[in-house]
Amino acid sequence: MSDNKLDVKVGVGGYIALLFAILFFSGVVPLLAKYAGDWVKAVDFSSLLGSFGKIAGAGDFRGSGGSGAKDGFLFALTLVPAVMFALGVVEIIDWLGGLKAGQKILTPVLRPLLGIPGLCGLALISSLQSTDAGAAMSKGLKEDGLITEDEKTIFMMFQFTSDATITNFFSSGAAIIVLVTPVVPPIIAISFLVMFLLKIFAANVMRVYVKKFGGEA
Amino acid sequence: MADANFKKTIFDIFVDGAKKGWAIVTSSTIPNVVMAFIIIQILNVSGLLKIIGKVFGPVMGLFGLPGEAFTVLLSGWLSMGGGCGVAAKLFSDGTLNTTHLVILLPAIFLMGSQVQYLGRALGTANIQGRYYGIMIGLSILNAVISMFIMRLVAAFYI
Repeated sequence: MSDNKLDVKVGVGGYIALLFAILFFSGVVPLLAKYAGDWVKAVDFSSLLGSFGKIAGAGDFRGSGGSGAKDGFLFALTLVPAVMFALGVVEIIDWLGGLKAGQKILTPVLRPLLGIPGLCGLALISSLQSTDAGAAMSKGLKEDGLITEDEKTIFMMFQFTSDATITNFFSSGAAIIVLVTPVVPPIIAISFLVMFLLKIFAANVMRVYVKKFGGEA
Repeated sequence: MADANFKKTIFDIFVDGAKKGWAIVTSSTIPNVVMAFIIIQILNVSGLLKIIGKVFGPVMGLFGLPGEAFTVLLSGWLSMGGGCGVAAKLFSDGTLNTTHLVILLPAIFLMGSQVQYLGRALGTANIQGRYYGIMIGLSILNAVISMFIMRLVAAFYI
Protein backbone atom coordinates (compact mmCIF):
# COMPACT_ATOMS: atom_id res chain seq x y z
CA MET A 1 0.00 0.00 0.00
CA SER A 2 1.69 3.20 -1.12
CA ASP A 3 -0.97 5.50 0.26
CA ASN A 4 0.13 6.49 3.77
CA LYS A 5 -3.41 7.14 4.94
CA LEU A 6 -4.40 3.55 4.30
CA ASP A 7 -1.24 2.02 5.73
CA VAL A 8 -2.07 1.94 9.43
CA LYS A 9 0.49 1.36 12.13
CA VAL A 10 -0.76 -0.72 15.01
CA GLY A 11 1.16 -1.21 18.23
CA VAL A 12 0.87 -4.29 20.40
CA GLY A 13 -1.45 -2.25 22.65
CA GLY A 14 -4.04 -2.14 19.86
CA TYR A 15 -4.13 -5.91 19.59
CA ILE A 16 -4.40 -6.24 23.37
CA ALA A 17 -7.28 -3.73 23.36
CA LEU A 18 -9.07 -5.68 20.63
CA LEU A 19 -8.60 -8.95 22.51
CA PHE A 20 -9.84 -7.28 25.68
CA ALA A 21 -12.95 -5.98 23.91
CA ILE A 22 -13.80 -9.45 22.60
CA LEU A 23 -13.36 -10.95 26.07
CA PHE A 24 -15.21 -8.11 27.82
CA PHE A 25 -18.37 -8.35 25.71
CA SER A 26 -18.27 -12.08 24.96
CA GLY A 27 -19.88 -13.26 28.18
CA VAL A 28 -17.31 -16.04 28.65
CA VAL A 29 -15.71 -14.38 31.69
CA PRO A 30 -18.42 -15.54 34.15
CA LEU A 31 -17.66 -19.11 33.01
CA LEU A 32 -14.00 -18.58 33.92
CA ALA A 33 -15.08 -17.28 37.32
CA LYS A 34 -15.95 -20.85 38.31
CA TYR A 35 -12.26 -21.72 38.18
CA ALA A 36 -10.48 -18.41 38.77
CA GLY A 37 -12.79 -16.85 41.36
CA ASP A 38 -15.35 -14.06 41.21
CA TRP A 39 -12.75 -11.28 40.86
CA VAL A 40 -12.43 -11.93 37.10
CA LYS A 41 -15.99 -10.60 36.71
CA ALA A 42 -14.42 -7.14 37.07
CA VAL A 43 -13.71 -7.40 33.33
CA ASP A 44 -17.16 -8.60 32.28
CA PHE A 45 -19.70 -6.27 30.66
CA SER A 46 -22.84 -7.79 32.18
CA SER A 47 -21.37 -8.08 35.66
CA LEU A 48 -20.33 -4.43 35.67
CA LEU A 49 -23.63 -3.33 34.14
CA GLY A 50 -25.22 -4.62 37.35
CA SER A 51 -28.92 -4.45 38.04
CA PHE A 52 -31.62 -2.04 39.11
CA GLY A 53 -32.90 -2.25 42.67
CA LYS A 54 -36.23 -3.84 43.32
CA ILE A 55 -39.31 -1.85 44.25
CA ALA A 56 -41.45 -3.39 46.99
CA GLY A 57 -39.62 -6.64 46.60
CA ALA A 58 -40.57 -7.31 42.98
CA GLY A 59 -39.67 -5.74 39.66
CA ASP A 60 -37.49 -2.69 38.90
CA PHE A 61 -38.84 0.82 38.40
CA ARG A 62 -40.64 -0.30 35.26
CA GLY A 63 -42.97 -2.31 37.47
CA SER A 64 -45.11 -4.98 35.86
CA GLY A 65 -48.42 -5.05 34.06
CA GLY A 66 -47.87 -1.73 32.27
CA SER A 67 -48.81 -1.26 28.62
CA GLY A 68 -48.66 1.07 25.66
CA ALA A 69 -46.49 4.16 25.24
CA LYS A 70 -45.99 4.66 28.99
CA ASP A 71 -44.71 1.12 29.49
CA GLY A 72 -42.50 1.53 26.41
CA PHE A 73 -40.97 4.71 27.76
CA LEU A 74 -40.08 3.22 31.13
CA PHE A 75 -38.75 0.08 29.47
CA ALA A 76 -36.58 2.18 27.14
CA LEU A 77 -35.19 3.99 30.17
CA THR A 78 -33.99 0.66 31.61
CA LEU A 79 -31.77 0.30 28.51
CA VAL A 80 -29.93 3.59 28.92
CA PRO A 81 -27.11 2.33 31.20
CA ALA A 82 -26.26 -0.60 28.91
CA VAL A 83 -25.99 1.62 25.82
CA MET A 84 -23.97 4.36 27.56
CA PHE A 85 -21.64 1.78 29.12
CA ALA A 86 -21.15 -0.24 25.93
CA LEU A 87 -20.45 2.78 23.71
CA GLY A 88 -18.11 4.24 26.35
CA VAL A 89 -16.07 1.03 26.25
CA VAL A 90 -16.13 0.86 22.44
CA GLU A 91 -14.79 4.45 22.41
CA ILE A 92 -11.91 3.43 24.70
CA ILE A 93 -11.11 0.37 22.59
CA ASP A 94 -11.03 2.61 19.51
CA TRP A 95 -8.80 5.14 21.32
CA LEU A 96 -6.37 2.40 22.34
CA GLY A 97 -6.08 1.32 18.69
CA GLY A 98 -8.26 -1.78 19.02
CA LEU A 99 -10.34 -1.04 15.94
CA LYS A 100 -7.20 -0.21 13.93
CA ALA A 101 -5.85 -3.61 14.97
CA GLY A 102 -9.04 -5.17 13.63
CA GLN A 103 -8.54 -3.27 10.38
CA LYS A 104 -4.93 -4.46 10.15
CA ILE A 105 -5.96 -8.08 10.67
CA LEU A 106 -8.72 -7.74 8.05
CA THR A 107 -6.64 -6.07 5.32
CA PRO A 108 -4.91 -9.20 3.93
CA VAL A 109 -8.04 -11.37 4.12
CA LEU A 110 -10.55 -9.05 2.41
CA ARG A 111 -9.56 -10.14 -1.12
CA PRO A 112 -10.01 -13.90 -0.57
CA LEU A 113 -12.93 -13.48 1.87
CA LEU A 114 -15.04 -10.87 0.04
CA GLY A 115 -13.32 -10.25 -3.27
CA ILE A 116 -12.62 -6.61 -2.43
CA PRO A 117 -9.22 -4.89 -1.96
CA GLY A 118 -7.58 -4.75 1.47
CA LEU A 119 -7.77 -0.95 1.46
CA CYS A 120 -11.51 -1.30 2.21
CA GLY A 121 -10.56 -2.24 5.78
CA LEU A 122 -11.06 1.25 7.22
CA ALA A 123 -14.45 1.65 5.56
CA LEU A 124 -15.43 -1.82 6.77
CA ILE A 125 -14.55 -1.06 10.38
CA SER A 126 -16.36 2.29 10.11
CA SER A 127 -19.45 0.58 8.66
CA LEU A 128 -19.67 -1.55 11.81
CA GLN A 129 -20.19 1.65 13.77
CA SER A 130 -22.09 3.90 11.40
CA THR A 131 -24.31 3.15 8.41
CA ASP A 132 -23.71 6.62 6.98
CA ALA A 133 -19.92 6.57 7.40
CA GLY A 134 -19.58 3.14 5.77
CA ALA A 135 -21.73 4.09 2.79
CA ALA A 136 -20.05 7.47 2.27
CA MET A 137 -16.54 5.97 2.46
CA SER A 138 -17.47 3.20 -0.01
CA LYS A 139 -18.75 5.82 -2.45
CA GLY A 140 -15.49 7.74 -1.96
CA LEU A 141 -13.36 4.66 -2.67
CA LYS A 142 -15.17 4.15 -5.98
CA GLU A 143 -14.94 7.83 -6.94
CA ASP A 144 -11.20 7.80 -6.22
CA GLY A 145 -10.86 4.78 -8.51
CA LEU A 146 -9.64 2.55 -5.66
CA ILE A 147 -12.43 -0.01 -6.10
CA THR A 148 -14.57 -0.95 -9.11
CA GLU A 149 -18.35 -0.59 -9.37
CA ASP A 150 -18.77 -4.34 -8.84
CA GLU A 151 -16.49 -4.35 -5.80
CA LYS A 152 -18.53 -1.50 -4.35
CA THR A 153 -21.73 -3.48 -4.89
CA ILE A 154 -20.28 -6.57 -3.13
CA PHE A 155 -18.98 -4.39 -0.29
CA MET A 156 -22.34 -2.64 0.19
CA MET A 157 -24.10 -6.02 0.34
CA PHE A 158 -21.75 -6.90 3.21
CA GLN A 159 -22.65 -3.63 4.95
CA PHE A 160 -26.39 -3.61 4.17
CA THR A 161 -27.33 -6.77 6.08
CA SER A 162 -26.99 -5.98 9.77
CA ASP A 163 -25.61 -2.51 9.04
CA ALA A 164 -23.72 -0.57 11.75
CA THR A 165 -23.57 -3.89 13.58
CA ILE A 166 -21.80 -2.77 16.76
CA THR A 167 -23.77 0.43 17.36
CA ASN A 168 -27.17 -1.03 16.50
CA PHE A 169 -26.61 -4.25 18.37
CA PHE A 170 -25.71 -2.47 21.59
CA SER A 171 -28.31 0.32 21.33
CA SER A 172 -31.37 -1.46 19.92
CA GLY A 173 -30.31 -4.97 20.84
CA ALA A 174 -29.89 -3.98 24.50
CA ALA A 175 -33.65 -4.51 24.82
CA ILE A 176 -33.19 -8.22 24.16
CA ILE A 177 -29.61 -8.73 25.40
CA VAL A 178 -30.53 -7.79 28.98
CA LEU A 179 -33.33 -10.37 28.94
CA VAL A 180 -31.31 -13.21 27.39
CA THR A 181 -27.88 -12.85 29.04
CA PRO A 182 -28.89 -14.52 32.34
CA VAL A 183 -29.87 -17.68 30.42
CA VAL A 184 -27.37 -17.61 27.54
CA PRO A 185 -24.28 -15.73 28.83
CA PRO A 186 -22.31 -15.66 25.52
CA ILE A 187 -25.31 -14.35 23.54
CA ILE A 188 -23.37 -11.24 22.42
CA ALA A 189 -20.44 -13.29 21.09
CA ILE A 190 -22.68 -15.87 19.41
CA SER A 191 -24.85 -13.19 17.78
CA PHE A 192 -21.83 -11.30 16.42
CA LEU A 193 -20.35 -14.52 15.04
CA VAL A 194 -23.61 -15.48 13.31
CA MET A 195 -24.14 -11.97 11.91
CA PHE A 196 -20.57 -11.80 10.57
CA LEU A 197 -20.66 -15.19 8.92
CA LEU A 198 -23.95 -14.30 7.22
CA LYS A 199 -22.68 -10.87 6.14
CA ILE A 200 -19.77 -12.66 4.46
CA PHE A 201 -22.18 -15.23 2.97
CA ALA A 202 -24.44 -12.57 1.43
CA ALA A 203 -21.45 -10.65 0.04
CA ASN A 204 -20.21 -13.82 -1.64
CA VAL A 205 -23.58 -14.57 -3.22
CA MET A 206 -23.41 -10.99 -4.54
CA ARG A 207 -19.86 -11.66 -5.71
CA VAL A 208 -21.10 -14.52 -7.90
CA TYR A 209 -24.07 -12.42 -9.07
CA VAL A 210 -22.09 -9.38 -10.21
CA LYS A 211 -19.55 -11.62 -11.92
CA LYS A 212 -22.40 -12.71 -14.19
CA PHE A 213 -24.58 -9.62 -14.39
CA GLY A 214 -22.32 -6.83 -13.10
CA GLY A 215 -20.62 -3.86 -14.70
CA GLU A 216 -21.40 -0.16 -14.88
CA ALA A 217 -25.06 0.74 -15.31
CA MET B 1 -10.51 22.57 32.84
CA ALA B 2 -8.13 25.54 32.62
CA ASP B 3 -6.31 24.31 29.52
CA ALA B 4 -8.67 23.76 26.62
CA ASN B 5 -6.11 21.55 24.86
CA PHE B 6 -5.52 19.22 27.77
CA LYS B 7 -4.55 15.68 26.88
CA LYS B 8 -7.54 13.40 27.14
CA THR B 9 -7.42 10.64 29.70
CA ILE B 10 -9.09 7.25 29.38
CA PHE B 11 -11.90 8.61 31.58
CA ASP B 12 -12.58 11.49 29.19
CA ILE B 13 -12.71 9.00 26.31
CA PHE B 14 -15.19 6.82 28.17
CA VAL B 15 -17.38 9.85 28.90
CA ASP B 16 -17.23 10.84 25.20
CA GLY B 17 -18.48 7.39 24.23
CA ALA B 18 -21.13 7.35 26.96
CA LYS B 19 -22.37 10.73 25.65
CA LYS B 20 -22.70 9.20 22.20
CA GLY B 21 -24.65 6.39 23.83
CA TRP B 22 -26.95 8.90 25.52
CA ALA B 23 -27.45 10.73 22.23
CA ILE B 24 -28.36 7.48 20.44
CA VAL B 25 -30.68 6.40 23.25
CA THR B 26 -32.58 9.68 23.33
CA SER B 27 -32.68 10.25 19.57
CA SER B 28 -33.25 6.67 18.45
CA THR B 29 -33.75 3.94 21.05
CA ILE B 30 -36.43 5.59 23.22
CA PRO B 31 -38.56 6.90 20.31
CA ASN B 32 -38.31 3.55 18.52
CA VAL B 33 -39.21 1.52 21.58
CA VAL B 34 -42.13 3.82 22.42
CA MET B 35 -43.35 3.43 18.84
CA ALA B 36 -42.98 -0.36 19.07
CA PHE B 37 -45.01 -0.51 22.27
CA ILE B 38 -47.72 1.65 20.72
CA ILE B 39 -47.85 -0.65 17.66
CA ILE B 40 -48.25 -3.67 19.93
CA GLN B 41 -50.91 -1.81 21.91
CA ILE B 42 -52.82 -1.10 18.69
CA LEU B 43 -52.53 -4.74 17.63
CA ASN B 44 -53.59 -5.89 21.08
CA VAL B 45 -56.54 -3.55 21.53
CA SER B 46 -57.82 -4.19 18.01
CA GLY B 47 -57.41 -7.93 18.34
CA LEU B 48 -55.15 -8.05 15.27
CA LEU B 49 -52.27 -9.61 17.21
CA LYS B 50 -54.27 -12.78 17.81
CA ILE B 51 -55.16 -12.95 14.11
CA ILE B 52 -51.52 -12.43 13.08
CA GLY B 53 -50.57 -15.16 15.56
CA LYS B 54 -52.99 -17.57 13.90
CA VAL B 55 -52.22 -16.66 10.28
CA PHE B 56 -48.44 -16.76 10.64
CA GLY B 57 -48.39 -19.60 13.16
CA PRO B 58 -47.53 -22.32 10.61
CA VAL B 59 -44.73 -20.31 8.90
CA MET B 60 -43.12 -19.09 12.13
CA GLY B 61 -43.49 -22.59 13.54
CA LEU B 62 -40.75 -23.69 11.12
CA PHE B 63 -38.33 -21.62 13.20
CA GLY B 64 -39.74 -22.73 16.53
CA LEU B 65 -41.59 -19.43 16.97
CA PRO B 66 -45.23 -18.52 17.64
CA GLY B 67 -47.08 -16.65 14.88
CA GLU B 68 -46.97 -13.37 16.82
CA ALA B 69 -43.18 -13.33 16.31
CA PHE B 70 -43.89 -12.22 12.74
CA THR B 71 -44.63 -8.73 14.11
CA VAL B 72 -41.06 -8.63 15.50
CA LEU B 73 -39.53 -9.31 12.09
CA LEU B 74 -41.85 -6.94 10.25
CA SER B 75 -41.32 -4.04 12.64
CA GLY B 76 -37.58 -4.87 12.71
CA TRP B 77 -37.51 -4.51 8.94
CA LEU B 78 -38.86 -0.97 9.39
CA SER B 79 -36.52 -0.21 12.29
CA MET B 80 -34.19 -2.40 14.36
CA GLY B 81 -35.12 -0.56 17.54
CA GLY B 82 -38.78 -1.14 16.82
CA GLY B 83 -38.23 -4.86 16.25
CA CYS B 84 -36.29 -5.24 19.49
CA GLY B 85 -38.92 -3.21 21.37
CA VAL B 86 -41.76 -5.36 20.03
CA ALA B 87 -39.83 -8.51 21.01
CA ALA B 88 -39.26 -7.18 24.53
CA LYS B 89 -42.93 -6.25 24.89
CA LEU B 90 -44.14 -9.65 23.68
CA PHE B 91 -41.69 -11.20 26.16
CA SER B 92 -43.12 -9.26 29.11
CA ASP B 93 -46.63 -10.26 27.99
CA GLY B 94 -45.56 -13.90 28.04
CA THR B 95 -46.19 -14.34 24.30
CA LEU B 96 -42.47 -14.94 23.64
CA ASN B 97 -40.05 -16.77 25.93
CA THR B 98 -36.25 -16.61 26.21
CA THR B 99 -35.80 -19.31 23.55
CA HIS B 100 -37.82 -17.22 21.11
CA LEU B 101 -35.74 -14.12 21.86
CA VAL B 102 -32.51 -16.04 21.21
CA ILE B 103 -33.86 -17.28 17.86
CA LEU B 104 -34.99 -13.77 16.82
CA LEU B 105 -32.04 -11.64 17.97
CA PRO B 106 -29.59 -11.77 15.02
CA ALA B 107 -32.46 -11.97 12.50
CA ILE B 108 -33.81 -8.56 13.59
CA PHE B 109 -30.47 -6.99 12.63
CA LEU B 110 -29.72 -9.03 9.50
CA MET B 111 -32.96 -7.77 7.88
CA GLY B 112 -33.24 -4.71 10.13
CA SER B 113 -34.00 -1.07 9.30
CA GLN B 114 -33.75 -1.82 5.59
CA VAL B 115 -36.55 0.51 4.65
CA GLN B 116 -34.52 3.49 5.85
CA TYR B 117 -31.14 1.99 4.88
CA LEU B 118 -32.18 1.81 1.21
CA GLY B 119 -31.61 5.54 1.23
CA ARG B 120 -29.00 5.92 3.92
CA ALA B 121 -26.74 3.07 2.78
CA LEU B 122 -27.49 2.02 -0.80
CA GLY B 123 -28.58 5.48 -1.93
CA THR B 124 -25.58 7.21 -0.38
CA ALA B 125 -23.18 4.71 -1.97
CA ASN B 126 -24.83 5.14 -5.41
CA ILE B 127 -25.73 1.46 -5.69
CA GLN B 128 -27.53 0.70 -8.96
CA GLY B 129 -31.28 0.41 -8.44
CA ARG B 130 -31.39 -2.98 -10.14
CA TYR B 131 -29.54 -4.50 -7.15
CA TYR B 132 -31.96 -3.27 -4.45
CA GLY B 133 -34.28 -6.26 -4.77
CA ILE B 134 -31.61 -8.93 -4.53
CA MET B 135 -29.91 -7.11 -1.64
CA ILE B 136 -33.13 -7.06 0.38
CA GLY B 137 -33.81 -10.66 -0.62
CA LEU B 138 -30.37 -11.81 0.56
CA SER B 139 -30.83 -9.95 3.84
CA ILE B 140 -34.13 -11.71 4.49
CA LEU B 141 -32.51 -15.02 3.50
CA ASN B 142 -29.77 -14.26 6.05
CA ALA B 143 -32.43 -13.65 8.71
CA VAL B 144 -34.06 -17.00 7.88
CA ILE B 145 -30.73 -18.88 8.04
CA SER B 146 -29.86 -17.17 11.34
CA MET B 147 -33.14 -18.29 12.92
CA PHE B 148 -32.33 -21.93 12.10
CA ILE B 149 -28.82 -21.53 13.55
CA MET B 150 -30.06 -19.75 16.69
CA ARG B 151 -32.69 -22.43 17.22
CA LEU B 152 -29.83 -24.91 17.65
CA VAL B 153 -27.99 -22.48 19.95
CA ALA B 154 -31.13 -22.06 22.08
CA ALA B 155 -31.63 -25.83 22.24
CA PHE B 156 -28.07 -26.17 23.53
CA TYR B 157 -28.52 -23.69 26.39
CA ILE B 158 -32.20 -23.92 27.32
